[in-house]
Amino acid sequence: MKIFITVFALLLSGIAAAGTIEMKVNGLVCGFCAQGIEKTLRKKDATSDVLVSLEHSLVAIETKTGLDIGDTELKKALTDAGYDVTSIERTARPLSEIRASLKGKH
Amino acid sequence: MNLFRLLLTGALLVAPHCLFAKPIAYAQGTTVMAEYGAGTMNEAQVFYAPRYDWSLGGGYLELDLDRPGRQIGITYARANYLAKRWNRPKAQTNVFVWGGAGDARLAETNDHAFAWNAGAQLDHETRRIYGSLKTDLHRAADFTRRIDTLQLGIAPYEHDYDTLATWLVIQGRNYTGDRHEGVEWALLLRLFKRGAWLDAGVTAGGKLQAMAMFNF
Repeated sequence: MKIFITVFALLLSGIAAAGTIEMKVNGLVCGFCAQGIEKTLRKKDATSDVLVSLEHSLVAIETKTGLDIGDTELKKALTDAGYDVTSIERTARPLSEIRASLKGKH
Repeated sequence: MNLFRLLLTGALLVAPHCLFAKPIAYAQGTTVMAEYGAGTMNEAQVFYAPRYDWSLGGGYLELDLDRPGRQIGITYARANYLAKRWNRPKAQTNVFVWGGAGDARLAETNDHAFAWNAGAQLDHETRRIYGSLKTDLHRAADFTRRIDTLQLGIAPYEHDYDTLATWLVIQGRNYTGDRHEGVEWALLLRLFKRGAWLDAGVTAGGKLQAMAMFNF
């Protein structure tokens, strides 16, 4: 029974862990104009942190533990900011790791 | 004048690499802009954008007429609309249009008249090159002035979201009317980072040309 509870707790913690959403976005060429993306995404309850990279046409969001933002909502947010999302991928990579990795590529 | 027209035509034909101070920055953003145009044109604007494709606001434009010191001041309300945007992986192209109305005052006589304004802008940008072509028409009673501005720029390096952007910009500006003969050329240094934007440079006649813009 104890083993079952431990395994269940571990599974639950995995599900509830903070996640990262990586989006490829077309039109990201100007840092001045792309501020709208960060402002829009930071207003969402599920958002913990936001990363914008013009170099990699990337917008990444770290979500709070146990929370997510649906694809439809994400696409709408980016479209309403004036950009086009071409792909959405959910990963376990923390935003800090992505940030460090992008800096390393420069 | 012919050279400027040739440049404008050529720029339209080859789909110029453009960007400019955009009249709409982003949804729910406020843009404040002030421009000092070589002592012959000064303008200040404030806009709020409820959505990414339109904004509302107002401004004040001061123009020299047929001689220095004879000025017209136009206070206006204006709506800007992003008519078309093309987002590509490493580029963006925009077509903006705007229109507005307000009051024109001739400084010399203090006469007032109803004024209206219409304009359009085509811009295209990557992180290394840009260009913009803008035309802005102002009419009030017997006063008509169109200001056409062409900007071509190159960035010595590709900026990113958190780094300072640096651009070298050549600007050609043509005014209809008798005030200027030919094109007023200027070389500008453009810097922007986050919500702050600054253009500064000199015209071919050695006069200061500067513009500052803030988004928040």
